[in-house]
Amino acid sequence: MRSSSAAPPFPFLLLPSLLSARNRARRRERGDLMRGVAFGAIALLVAAVIFAASFWVTWQLGGYAEFGDYLLRLGLSWLFLTFLSFLAFSGVVTALSTFYLSDDLRLLMAAPVSRRRLFHARFARTCVHASWMVIVFTVPVLAGIGVARCAPAGFYAAAAATVVPFVVIPVAAGTALTLLLVNVFPARRARDILMLMGLLFAASLVLLLRLVQPEQLLRVESLPEVTDFFAALQSPVTPLLPSFWAGEALFAAVKGSGDMVHLAALWSTAAVLTLGVAMAYDRWYFDGFSKAQEARKARFTRLTWLDGALRLLPMTAVRRHLLVKDTKVFLRDVSQWSQLLLLVALMVVYLYNFRVLDLDRIPYMSGVLKNMYALLNLAMAGLVMATVAARFVFPAVSSEGAAFWIIRTSPLSLRDFLWSKFWTGLVPVLLLTLMLTITANELLGVDPFLEVVSAVAIVFMTVALVGLATGLGARYPRFTADNPSQVAGSYGGIAFMVAAVLFVVMIIGLVGWPSTVWLWYQSRGIDPPARTIVLLAVCFTLAAGISLVTWLLAMRSGVRALEDNR
Amino acid sequence: MIVVQDLVKRYGSFTAVDGVSLEVAPGQIHGFLGPNGAGKTTTIRMIAGLLKPTVGRIVVNGCDLAADPEGAKRALGFIPDRPFIYEKLTAREFLRFHGGLYELDGAPLEERASEMLELFELQRWQDELVESFSHGMKQRLVMCAAFLHRPQAVLVDEPMVGLDPRGARLIKEVFRRMADRGVAILMSTHTLEVAQEMCDRISIILKGRIIARGTVDELRALAGADDEHLTPVFLKLTGGSGLQEIDEIV
Repeated sequence: MRSSSAAPPFPFLLLPSLLSARNRARRRERGDLMRGVAFGAIALLVAAVIFAASFWVTWQLGGYAEFGDYLLRLGLSWLFLTFLSFLAFSGVVTALSTFYLSDDLRLLMAAPVSRRRLFHARFARTCVHASWMVIVFTVPVLAGIGVARCAPAGFYAAAAATVVPFVVIPVAAGTALTLLLVNVFPARRARDILMLMGLLFAASLVLLLRLVQPEQLLRVESLPEVTDFFAALQSPVTPLLPSFWAGEALFAAVKGSGDMVHLAALWSTAAVLTLGVAMAYDRWYFDGFSKAQEARKARFTRLTWLDGALRLLPMTAVRRHLLVKDTKVFLRDVSQWSQLLLLVALMVVYLYNFRVLDLDRIPYMSGVLKNMYALLNLAMAGLVMATVAARFVFPAVSSEGAAFWIIRTSPLSLRDFLWSKFWTGLVPVLLLTLMLTITANELLGVDPFLEVVSAVAIVFMTVALVGLATGLGARYPRFTADNPSQVAGSYGGIAFMVAAVLFVVMIIGLVGWPSTVWLWYQSRGIDPPARTIVLLAVCFTLAAGISLVTWLLAMRSGVRALEDNR
Repeated sequence: MIVVQDLVKRYGSFTAVDGVSLEVAPGQIHGFLGPNGAGKTTTIRMIAGLLKPTVGRIVVNGCDLAADPEGAKRALGFIPDRPFIYEKLTAREFLRFHGGLYELDGAPLEERASEMLELFELQRWQDELVESFSHGMKQRLVMCAAFLHRPQAVLVDEPMVGLDPRGARLIKEVFRRMADRGVAILMSTHTLEVAQEMCDRISIILKGRIIARGTVDELRALAGADDEHLTPVFLKLTGGSGLQEIDEIV
């Protein structure tokens, strides 16, 4: 038996992913069902909200005849421009992983698989991995537009024919860039490129939002200004971008006609780019892949200042060494860094929005609105903190991974170990959320009473949520996970998120209601009755009490779980 | 069957493999020995087509790896030191996929997979997910995959790691029989007893260079050692036992 068949076509190389997904679905693990239901429900809810929003906006625009059409056309173009930048970034990051860092490449590269077949399989995988999120978002948006405009069936066919080449173009460009970067930069720093890309993307996101000046949308005094705003979104280069072609093709389809020119531009560009990347791949791929096999040089190898600085902290030597280890591991893991960068970029945008929010233009309402925003900001900070805790604190115990035996066999008590994890997580999260809350409230100019209440509340919430994340992380560890994201998406991670959201809602209720009542009396210059004061004090005390109980119970439960699994 | 000529691999200013040449004839088991970091795995990964040599030529079964990589790889079976296996596939699914990579299909592939699973005593677990396998079972599964397409040459990096004595015995027997049928085997190992027992010829690599080559007897003569075991010969050739330093530290 030398060879019983010719080489199977490239989709054969995608078989392990499909079979693995099937096997995963067949052999459910504990919590899989709950996770599936929770994720499914959230996904459906999000899709329904997106569909409803898209439908509503398109429906409203329908009332403005030609101007509505103009705005819809611009909106589509702008939407696809956003997708284009996201897909190009996502293409680079995903291509780096699928073409150079995937473990299965060692198996495939040692097999007699032709370069062309491997390229096609990897490129298809890159396209799917890089674009699924955009496609999942696009479907309800376009469905909303189609339904609102009673679009013919051809619109949906055109949508599919538009989205496919539209996705391929930026992913091909991203793959080409990855190919170039891995060959130009020392390959042992391949992951550093990812960090660089993260920075660039974060910076461009902030810049983009700054340039768009969304605050202008609040100025609805006159129609011409709105027109100017949207006209400003157009630039001379826009018609040369695939996003413009996609927008035009879809706009034509929603009107019941066809725009073959822009569709042809999309397909031909996608084909030419794919062909170009395939040729570049033939020429340079193996060089880059070979370089990527070299051991990666550790970043921040010395960090002596860190050791020195932490030596000043009042803590035991054991805890200090744990902290040094956790900090260094964090600093050297680019996947942690890049996500943190994106988070920082989003926070900058978030705070920037507060800065440009011109509420004084509504004189009678500005005070009330500002205080409402302060509470909203507290809730947002709480939810941001819950996400940060789920992503960075919850996996703290699991991140010990296969090396957890070192902790288990050392004379360090598991209680000390878990508390060390808590403090390591608490300090940065507390600084982040305090900064977010105080800065946003300062920018808004909210009542000083509410500023103090928010600051105190966020401290209690942070302590509770970091404690909850640490405790549940110890209770539901996943030592076999490949990366912290997997841990955050596990059964325990979802359970933490659900508990954290409920906690934030409860605390906002317990803090928000008495604060509003207090401010109501203040604004009218009346002293609140004693009974009301007692009630307000009870609410604040209850919020503090629930936070402390959540914190301590979660930590105790975590320690006990670790000890029981000894 | 495997011909390596003047192979060099440089990482920046560091030379991991420095002018290695070797030849493994059909039916020969060639041991590749050396201390940690000597360049064994780098050399084997270059022959497997995973690393690009800085300089040098590799020919497998008459196919130049640079000019005809698919032809060379088709004749090769590779058992890496840290093999990758899709954890969410069953053993049979993995073999089916692996066979497909080597252009096997249908009934012949199924038959051959069954033979291999039986040979390596994995047939009971053929429908279990690989993630539930022990290290030794995974190692045996990788060997099933490597021999599935009846390679003419086999590269093995540390074959005995994680195997129990029964598994180790089985592997030795399989390698010996394969060699008897004309398969060329290049085997890197730290287990000197295995090398002594199985290898027809041995190359010793140190700091990227081949420092000695020959049969066990030839190496013994070269080192001037009269011990019947290979360990003192290896230590003499690669630079002392370090026992004195241990005494000082302990």
